[in-house]
Amino acid sequence: MMESHEIQSILPHRYPFLLVDRVLEIEPGKKGVAIKNLTGGEWFFHGHHFYPPVLLLESLAQVGGIVLGSKAKEENPEGRVRGLFAGVSNFQFHRCAVLGEQITLKVEVTQSLTSLYRFAAEALAGGEKIASGQILLSFGRSPSAEPNPP
Amino acid sequence: MVVIDRVEELERGERIKGSKLITADEFYLTGHFPGEPIVPGVLTLEGMVQSAMILLAESHSRGRLHCSLDRVDRVKFKRAIVPGDRVEFLVRVTAKEEGFWKFKSQAQVGGETAAEADVILKVALQEVGFEL
Repeated sequence: MMESHEIQSILPHRYPFLLVDRVLEIEPGKKGVAIKNLTGGEWFFHGHHFYPPVLLLESLAQVGGIVLGSKAKEENPEGRVRGLFAGVSNFQFHRCAVLGEQITLKVEVTQSLTSLYRFAAEALAGGEKIASGQILLSFGRSPSAEPNPP
Repeated sequence: MVVIDRVEELERGERIKGSKLITADEFYLTGHFPGEPIVPGVLTLEGMVQSAMILLAESHSRGRLHCSLDRVDRVKFKRAIVPGDRVEFLVRVTAKEEGFWKFKSQAQVGGETAAEADVILKVALQEVGFEL
């Protein structure tokens, strides 16, 4: 399990764009299961009561970033890596998660080509699948002079 | 959350061009990323989706329209969008099927493609009133 402070040691994302709360299971470099809680007062609930579909994509991509980042950290704790959201394929939204729900985010690497990683990604809420598809992240050693993100 | 400033051009049932200026004090840039502001790719995708939704809404003259994002495919984030940029969302309809509209969309900065996506919206049109 990985709590928020540890997630923040891997991901450069911060408020209001850190969209993963806790990692439940992780196999570095392979797969991960995490959660995102939806409670009142979050900025994206302004005028709505559902989690915007594009932010669900971002949450899943961030779990992918944690899976790849935790592997890189294992191999070289001091190394800097750079992750980028590269794309999305065939991603189907069945319904939106709503305020009061806990979203389970599951990702698993299905293909890796040099620095490009393809994940099967799935989101569940209330015991049912609410969205699924593929996401692509590009991930590699950061050029030395450049900062960590994106 | 609206991520389009203006609709620049619109041909009902065909295409739309929306635009958004990116400025450094947009709230989400503080966390994405601290010290290195970059517009999250998913918000660029949201701009393409919202443009498609506006086009859809403007293509219907009556009735109560409900649309939602059903699917995205072939989404590619090609270059970072940063403060000072002006983004144009170019979206055109590629198919109108029973209950679904399909779109090809691009987000461009200075004529260069920063992101592209296929967007599929689920459409429910509830007729209200009647034609004479």
